[in-house]
Amino acid sequence: MRILIVEDEPDLLASLAQALREEGYAVDTAANGDDGLFNAEGTDYDAIVLDVMLPRLDGWEILKRLRQTKKTPVLMLTARDQTRDRVKGLDTGADDYVVKPFDLEELFARLRAIIRRSANQTTNLIEIGEVKVDTAARNVSLKDKLVELTAREYSLVEFMALHRGEVVTRTQLYEHLFDENESSLSNLLDVHVSNVRKKLGAEFIVTRRGHGYCIA
Amino acid sequence: MKIFKSIGWRLQIWYGLILVVVLAGFGFTAYQLERGRLLGRIDDELHRRVEVLASALRRPPPRGPEGNGQPFDRPPPGQFPDDRPPEENLHPPREYHLPARDAHFFDASDPNGFYFSILSRDGKEITGSTNQPVRTSVTSTYTGGDVNWIQKLPGNTPPPPKVNFFEHYRETFEPLPSGEKILVGCSVLPELKELHRTALNLTAVGGLILFVGLAGGWWFVSRSLRPIQNISAAAVKISAGDLSQRINVGGTESELGQLAAVLNSTFARLETAFAQQKQFAADAAHELRTPVSVILTQTQTALNRERTAEDYKQTVEACQRAAQRMRKLIESLLALARFDAGQEVLNRLRFDFSKTVSDSVELVQPLAAERSVKVIAELSALQVTGDTERLAQVVTNLLTNAIQYNKSGGVVRVNLASQTGLAVLTVADNGYGITAEDLPRVFGRFFRSDKSRAGASNAGLGLAICKAIVEAHGGTIEAASELGTGTTFTVRLPIDV
Repeated sequence: MRILIVEDEPDLLASLAQALREEGYAVDTAANGDDGLFNAEGTDYDAIVLDVMLPRLDGWEILKRLRQTKKTPVLMLTARDQTRDRVKGLDTGADDYVVKPFDLEELFARLRAIIRRSANQTTNLIEIGEVKVDTAARNVSLKDKLVELTAREYSLVEFMALHRGEVVTRTQLYEHLFDENESSLSNLLDVHVSNVRKKLGAEFIVTRRGHGYCIA
Repeated sequence: MKIFKSIGWRLQIWYGLILVVVLAGFGFTAYQLERGRLLGRIDDELHRRVEVLASALRRPPPRGPEGNGQPFDRPPPGQFPDDRPPEENLHPPREYHLPARDAHFFDASDPNGFYFSILSRDGKEITGSTNQPVRTSVTSTYTGGDVNWIQKLPGNTPPPPKVNFFEHYRETFEPLPSGEKILVGCSVLPELKELHRTALNLTAVGGLILFVGLAGGWWFVSRSLRPIQNISAAAVKISAGDLSQRINVGGTESELGQLAAVLNSTFARLETAFAQQKQFAADAAHELRTPVSVILTQTQTALNRERTAEDYKQTVEACQRAAQRMRKLIESLLALARFDAGQEVLNRLRFDFSKTVSDSVELVQPLAAERSVKVIAELSALQVTGDTERLAQVVTNLLTNAIQYNKSGGVVRVNLASQTGLAVLTVADNGYGITAEDLPRVFGRFFRSDKSRAGASNAGLGLAICKAIVEAHGGTIEAASELGTGTTFTVRLPIDV
């Protein structure tokens, strides 16, 4: 899962990015409105955490412009907690709204929820045959036994599970699993796929040659 | 009791009482006048008849043919009771008859007509009308007091004999010098009935007037007091927290209408003040949210797992920065609150303002160098009276703004000169400028032109505080700006405060 954070307070931005990376997300950051919009339009993020008060281009404007081209789930982050602000945010196309100061736990839960909703999932539990993916607890079990996965492997499984039945291209996987700072060594993805197959069964991820991967 | 606390009721009771007293007085007077008029007429008639009788009794018996028919048998001449003192024993009661020409005065056929009675000295009736009321004894029933009182006041013009009531008869009682007494009376039943009617009429009219007065008064009082009810209803709602309430003045131009208008404008000012206060509190809370978020996120992230000492140090530093920012904000808020409440004590001294300005210019040099902005100062020595520290704060703030909102390589010009008794300080930059729309709001609280907290944790209170300080010194501060050309702030301070 790849997430963009647009926030102008450097200390907040840094700790948010760190926390989300430790949760297993690939995180890109932007410290002002212009950069934020540029990133948001150029990459398919799984979610965007967008501050409202930003220099140059404010959150509302970014959201308005982004919605002309993309449906990326957006979580607005703001210090304004009046109803009209919330209504404005949601009406402009925000998927959720978190008021500062917030608890990280809540932010994570809301992020998971908007990502899940954008993939048309209603619960945290995705069952694929004998494999169960719990997106809240961020774990995967096979025949009701927990399977040890690295954060990156879990992200791969989760992304594939959320896009179950679709063919997911390697480019998509690279975009969603790695952030802009990581070198996209092409065989790194193959290593993760092969590790997941070892742990969850060889048929769990099907290779569509020339297209990408798929979970049935 | 509640009734006696209501102005309406008290007014009502008060003029109700006055009305009753006036009406009763008026009615009583009218009744007495009518009674006097009616009875006076009767009394006049009675007196006339008494006179007639008395003169008839005194008259010598008529002579001549027509005289034989006269009913009054008079004693022989020289034996009139008028002529010599009466001697009761010697003179047995005599017979009297009403002369025919006087008979029309006493119509015996009319039960309500006049009647007479002539009494002997010992009170026995000598003669009388047939229509006079039946009584056991004249003297016992006649209680008019001493009938001889007139004689006891020699030299006085004798007033007409007293008239009194016997039952519903009006009677007068006149003693003759001969010792006989004449009683003339008549029934006043019709007059009494008329008086009774008059009394009823007066009572009815009085009652009607009282009713109309009270009803009209009530209508008028409630109409006049209705604005008070409106006022108190609105005040109740306002005290319950609904500041948007206004009193419905609705064309009242009385004193109460003026009061309502005054109260309405007070309420409007209150509402504005409350709204500003609310906005201020919301803005202050909003400014505190970001540093608190930083602390929360930093600490929660740090505590998620074991960290290296370096990581912890970074977290603590970030928290410190957030705390510093909150401290700065709180100080600004407190300063503004003190200026608002007029509690800020200025340490007034006479000092050289140019020294303060040049110190401030020195202070911002590092920032100017960082932004590649050149600060050019042209200062003339000027003595002003004021709080050195606070005025230095104003200058530093203006300089910092001029540097921060300037382009790289820009120039800030500081000028201090005296102008008609004023110390005029201008701080001009050639930066981006402020839009005409924003210009009136730059001294507002929490105003930021770029609507973000960029610009080194600036909460947007700096210029508001500058304005408060300058105004506390009796000076003015204003901003002029042109987009793309730059902004000029002008501070004017009185030289002799």
